[in-house]
Amino acid sequence: MVSKQNNNIKRSERYPWLISFLEGWSIFRQNLLGKIGLVLLIIFALMALCSYIPPWINPMYNPMTGVDPEITSCTPPSLRHWLGTDFMGRDILSQLLAGARIAFMVGISAAVMSVVLGVSIGMTAGYMGRFVDTLLMRLADMIMVMPTLLVVLLLSAVFGQLSIWTIVLIIALFRWPGVSRIIRGQTLSLKQRPFIEAAKVAGASHFRIIFVHIMPNVLPLAFLFMTFRVTSAIITEAALAFLGFGDPGTVSWGMMLQWVWKTGHMFQAPYWLLPPGICISLITLSFYMLGRAMDEVLDPRLRREDQTD
Amino acid sequence: MALLEVENMSIGYNTKKGYLKAVEGVSFTLEEGASLGFVGESGCGKTTIGMALMGLLPPNGSVREGRILFEGKNTLRMSDEEIRKIRWRKMAMIFQAAMNALNPVQRVGNQIAEAILVHNPSVGKEEAMGQVEALFELVGIPRDRLRDYPHQYSGGMKQRAVIAMALACHPKLIIADEPTTALDVIVQSQILGEIKDLQKEFNLSIIFISHDISIVADMCKDICVMYAGQLVEFGPREEVFESPSHPYTKALLSSFPTVTGKKSDLIPIPGETPNLVIPPAGCRFCDRCSGPGPSCQAEAPEWVEIGPGHKTLCCRC
Amino acid sequence: MHKRDESVLEIRDVSKIYKTRGAFFGSSGKDVTALYRISLDIFKGEIFGLVGESGSGKTTMGRLIVGLEDVNSGEIVLDGREIVGLRGRAQKEFRRKVQMIFQDPYQSLNPQRSIYDTVSEPLKIHGIGDASTRKDLVRETLKSVGLSPPDDFFFKYPHRLSGGQRQRVAIARAMILNPEFVISDEPTSMLDASISAQIFNILLELRNKLGVTQLFITHSLAAARYLCDRVAVIYRGNLMEVGPAEEVIRNPKHPYTQALLDAVPKFGHDRDAKRYGTLLAKDRDVEEDAGCVFFPRCAAAHEDRCGRKQPGLSQLGDGHFVACFRLEAMHEA
Repeated sequence: MVSKQNNNIKRSERYPWLISFLEGWSIFRQNLLGKIGLVLLIIFALMALCSYIPPWINPMYNPMTGVDPEITSCTPPSLRHWLGTDFMGRDILSQLLAGARIAFMVGISAAVMSVVLGVSIGMTAGYMGRFVDTLLMRLADMIMVMPTLLVVLLLSAVFGQLSIWTIVLIIALFRWPGVSRIIRGQTLSLKQRPFIEAAKVAGASHFRIIFVHIMPNVLPLAFLFMTFRVTSAIITEAALAFLGFGDPGTVSWGMMLQWVWKTGHMFQAPYWLLPPGICISLITLSFYMLGRAMDEVLDPRLRREDQTD
Repeated sequence: MALLEVENMSIGYNTKKGYLKAVEGVSFTLEEGASLGFVGESGCGKTTIGMALMGLLPPNGSVREGRILFEGKNTLRMSDEEIRKIRWRKMAMIFQAAMNALNPVQRVGNQIAEAILVHNPSVGKEEAMGQVEALFELVGIPRDRLRDYPHQYSGGMKQRAVIAMALACHPKLIIADEPTTALDVIVQSQILGEIKDLQKEFNLSIIFISHDISIVADMCKDICVMYAGQLVEFGPREEVFESPSHPYTKALLSSFPTVTGKKSDLIPIPGETPNLVIPPAGCRFCDRCSGPGPSCQAEAPEWVEIGPGHKTLCCRC
Repeated sequence: MHKRDESVLEIRDVSKIYKTRGAFFGSSGKDVTALYRISLDIFKGEIFGLVGESGSGKTTMGRLIVGLEDVNSGEIVLDGREIVGLRGRAQKEFRRKVQMIFQDPYQSLNPQRSIYDTVSEPLKIHGIGDASTRKDLVRETLKSVGLSPPDDFFFKYPHRLSGGQRQRVAIARAMILNPEFVISDEPTSMLDASISAQIFNILLELRNKLGVTQLFITHSLAAARYLCDRVAVIYRGNLMEVGPAEEVIRNPKHPYTQALLDAVPKFGHDRDAKRYGTLLAKDRDVEEDAGCVFFPRCAAAHEDRCGRKQPGLSQLGDGHFVACFRLEAMHEA
């Protein structure tokens, strides 16, 4: 009995990330905003998963190509089409569900790419210092002041319609400088810490110092940034789509709004306009709230309360 | 009547790991003009006592039981407003991280003048500045440094400025919590000398908190030795220092290297301090004691009178 | 304890100057001399103490020896080989021989790595042993620094340990490569007295059992006296006094060493310990920096001599060196 208990203790000590995850979770649970954000995100994730169901029930529910043979214009909600149809008779609900999938895809892939880029550039700049640092940070400054939207508009004007993946790539390429600045600062301060010097004295290579000692210490911050980057990526994509520069082959919420606007249903069909609009606001809001809550979890100042004397 | 009387004070903190009993059943008295030193290692509760006396415990800490009588009045019963009135005016504190107690964007002289003005609105601005000048002279800062910013001061000067600030409202009691820990030995001895002189000059009562028993013995006539939240030995410094009776005091003394006398081996205290969320039932030093008795583990020790004014919390003494 | 003739580490005329950057572009800041022409020999198997206040350059000296910083001039020779500017394989070889224990055990261990990871890292870096021999080595080393049973610590993380335990882990990490020379930079300044004594005794044991030569950097004369065979007192980058520890501390000759001893609280040790009184109550105004670095604060100084020229180290007795004109004068007389 005793030895079993001992074993359990040892196992939990073996997985410190589990302990810190549980600790973080207990802080997170006390954060109302974070909880709301998480619940919303779960709902959106379920929506994204459910997006495969309508086309499977009946091909007319295909968000892009499925047209209700009996309907040729915009119709309000009905039993057959819970949220109504658009001007071609396509089901709005299935478009909305597909939009959730696209939003997650765009948001998360752009965020992952920009954070990976930002972390590697930030760590390189911070660790190498000197002219590498100057060079990379000036580059970051240059990109940071460029208006993303304008550049994408120009590119699409030059190259014609951009695919959704090109858009994701462009967003990622324009959104890394903020991340890299923060990561660079963190790296700079970590570089001065005695445990890095201790590793140097032990003979560790630069490679080892960067990947074994610095990276694990900046990753939590990188994850935090990821949530904020998701928000900005979703908004950028929606804006592009609404302006008519989106990928015509995908159904995103921005695209839906563009259709509403282009076919002149802005004020005629609230059942068509409101769902994508509300969804865009809510999903960005929920990622933001999640980020704020994580910020609190990661903020070391809030963890010091139990230190006395 | 004693200036300060603390009866059976217990203090705890609510922490994530549970209720931490930082201080348990501490009693002592301090006469006007007397000096009392608290010595112990980190986590023994000495800083907590200082904070409790000033009414400055952090939000998760509170005095669970006991009384703090300052000039006969229980400060624990006072409203925030009343406490604020005696704080600085009657008792002042020199903090551990004194260097950080100064506002970096304000001139040092102005900061102290402001402290005077806040606590004594009847004083004019000119007069306050005059008082600051006098204070600076007292603590040994040249007058022309009055208009400097804190970053222009050395560590020792900042500490002197903080002492000047503590003296600004002519308090009766000064609580000094490790006031020289971050300083070099030469500056430390100068500042300690300064505090001693000021004490004589103004008949101040001093509570001096430090981990270094030699400093405490140097500064105070009476010494309280603390271990794991309890007072374990109390007495005049000569007694405590030269014929310590509690095993912890003995061990503490023999773990300090010295520059004088015969060079002898240091005997470290084995083990670690106990967890104060679940303190041991019997003597708290039992696990690290060199010669515990059979009952030490289970029974809480009682105070034993060893000599005049010299008491110890140990069943073996 | 040590053989006079065998010096493991020779420090020859080492200077280190930090250039502080000016507040604005182009404006060059002041140069700060951290170390000025220091020469020292450290003998095989001894613990050598470097005693000084903050800003004296004692920490810089340690960092120069382990190669965390580069000297501006002078040379550092280990086992007859110059170590300044080592690169590549030669540097790695050097890293096996010289290790360091840092001041703050709360900062010197990577919070994200387990004790086993931390202690075994030097073995991995230098490709020593396979998984099971490494485990045995880590176990042995942890035991030798008093962390037992060692297996209990393998998968613990630094935040679960007390300061004293962390410093033991740091010592284990430094010792696992079996270095010849270990530098410890104020290893106990963050620890309580009883824990400090434990650490001191571990360092002593390393020397007595394994014969590790050590440089012990400290601000405390008392700690230096307890641990060290010889000590050097350093003030603002200049050596003031070098000699056998007991001799320097019981019978100091330099006014600065004397002032340091005066400043140690002595209650109860020596009631009537003599005071040297070599410290001026108020610093002297000094126009030029040409003189002795302690001249502005020295009560024993000769105005004309000490303010104009820097004294060199001169030998007093057996291995006792002092940089002070007063003693030169005494010798002549």
